Amino acid sequence: MRLRGTTEAPAERLAAFRISLGVFIIGYVAIRVGVFVELGSRERSRFEPVGVFRLIDQPMGEVVNGAALVATFVLGVAFVVGWRFRLVGPLFALGLLALTSHRSSWGQLLHFENLMVLHAVVVGLSPAADAWSWDARRAARRSANRAGVARAGALARAGGDRYGFPLLVASVIVVVTYVIAGVAKLRYGGVDWMAGDTLRNHIAYSATRLELLGGWASPAARVAVDAAWILPPIATLSVLVELAAPIALLGGRWRNIWVATAWLMHAGIYVLMLVGFPSPLFLIAFAPFFPLERIVDYRATLARRGLATQA
Amino acid sequence: MTAVEEHRRTRWWQPTLLALVVALLVSPVFVGEDDFPLSTYPMYARTRPADVAFVTAQGVAVDGTTRPLGLDVIGASDDPLIVAGELRAAVSAGRAVQRCELIRDRLIDVRPDDADVVVRIVTEQHDVIEHTADRPSLIERTVHAECGPNS
Repeated sequence: MRLRGTTEAPAERLAAFRISLGVFIIGYVAIRVGVFVELGSRERSRFEPVGVFRLIDQPMGEVVNGAALVATFVLGVAFVVGWRFRLVGPLFALGLLALTSHRSSWGQLLHFENLMVLHAVVVGLSPAADAWSWDARRAARRSANRAGVARAGALARAGGDRYGFPLLVASVIVVVTYVIAGVAKLRYGGVDWMAGDTLRNHIAYSATRLELLGGWASPAARVAVDAAWILPPIATLSVLVELAAPIALLGGRWRNIWVATAWLMHAGIYVLMLVGFPSPLFLIAFAPFFPLERIVDYRATLARRGLATQA
Repeated sequence: MTAVEEHRRTRWWQPTLLALVVALLVSPVFVGEDDFPLSTYPMYARTRPADVAFVTAQGVAVDGTTRPLGLDVIGASDDPLIVAGELRAAVSAGRAVQRCELIRDRLIDVRPDDADVVVRIVTEQHDVIEHTADRPSLIERTVHAECGPNS
C-alpha cells in the first residue's frame, strides 16, 4: 500500500508546523500560567485523575508542578528553535501532556486542549528540526565533509514521506477528531440535535451559566435565542462540517472550503457562547493541511519584487 | 536506487502506524469512556431541555439581597467550564461545605469589603430561554451549604 501524494513534503513544511505549533503552545501556557501554578496547591481530595495521571493516581505537588511548568516552558523554547530536537521534541510533548492531563484531572475535562497535545506528540516524535533549526545549522557548520552536507541538503529538499508522513498523521488526527465530535452529536442527540431546539437551549444554557457564575454572557446569545428559526439550519450545518472533515485530506479547494467552514463554526461558537477552542480559532489545528513553507517563499518573492521595483 | 529515491519511498510501516493512530483515536468511542487526550468529544452533543439545574455560589448581603460572586472568586479561573465543572464535582462528592469555606476565604482575599457577606452554594433550576431573554426564570433553589462571618 502506498499513500500517494499525500505524504510528499519538504523538510521546511514540517519545520514551519513545528515553529507555529511551538510558538502557539508557549503563548497558551504563558497566558494560562496562573491557572497551571494554582493546580499545585490544590487539595488532593479534589483530584480525579485522567490520562497519564490514572497511572500514578496522585496530583503533582507544588514543587513538582512548578518544576514541570518551568521545564515545559524552557523545552518549548528549545522546541521552537529546534535545539537538540531528538531529545527535546519528545520531552516537550511529555511535559505538555503531563501539564494538560493534570489540569483536566480536577473534575472537568478540557476538550479544547486535546488537538494541541496530540499535535505536539506527533511533531515531537518526528524529524521536525531537519530544517529551519539550530540543529540543522549546527550540522551544516560542523560537517567538514562537503559531500555529506550536499547529500543532507538534497535529502531535506527531496522531502518525501520523511517529513510528509508526520504532517499526514497530524491531519488525520484533526479529521478523526471532528468526525468523532459529529458522530457524538448524532449518537447522543440524534436527529433532534439538528432539527429541534437543542442548539438554542445550548446557547441559552451557556449564557445563563455565565451570568449565574457572575460573568457576562454574549450579547449575541439573546439575539440567537430570539431568532430561533435560524438555529436548526446552523446546527445541521455544524454536524455536516464535522462529519465532512475527511474531505480536507483531498487538498486544494476542498481543503480550503472545509477549513474555512470549520473555522467559521468555531468563530460562531465563540460569538454565541463565549466558548473558545484556541487551537482551531488561531488556525494552528489546521496548519498541517497547508504548505506553510510557501508563506516564507512568498514573502521572499515579495521582498525581491519590492527591491526590483526600487531599483 | 539513489539515496534520495530511497528516502522518498513510502515505508511499509506507515499505513500500519496510521491505522493504529486512527484506532487509538476512536477507541474511547467504543470503550464508551471520555478521557484525555483521547476523547469521545461529548461536549454539547446531548440534547438539552430548556429547564436546567445549575450549581453556583452566591453572595448574600446583610440586607438579604443575593448576587453572583464572579468566576475569579468561585473558581479562581476565567473559564466558566472549569469553574462550573469543579463546583458541580465538589457538590456531587459531598464537599459543598469545604468548597463554601474555600470560596469565602477567596472572597475576603479578593474583596476585603465583602467580609460580612454570607456565601451560599446552591443548585438553581432555571428556564434558560426565559433567563437569556431577561424574563423571570427561576423554578427551584436548593441550598447545599452556607458559610459566613459567624459560621
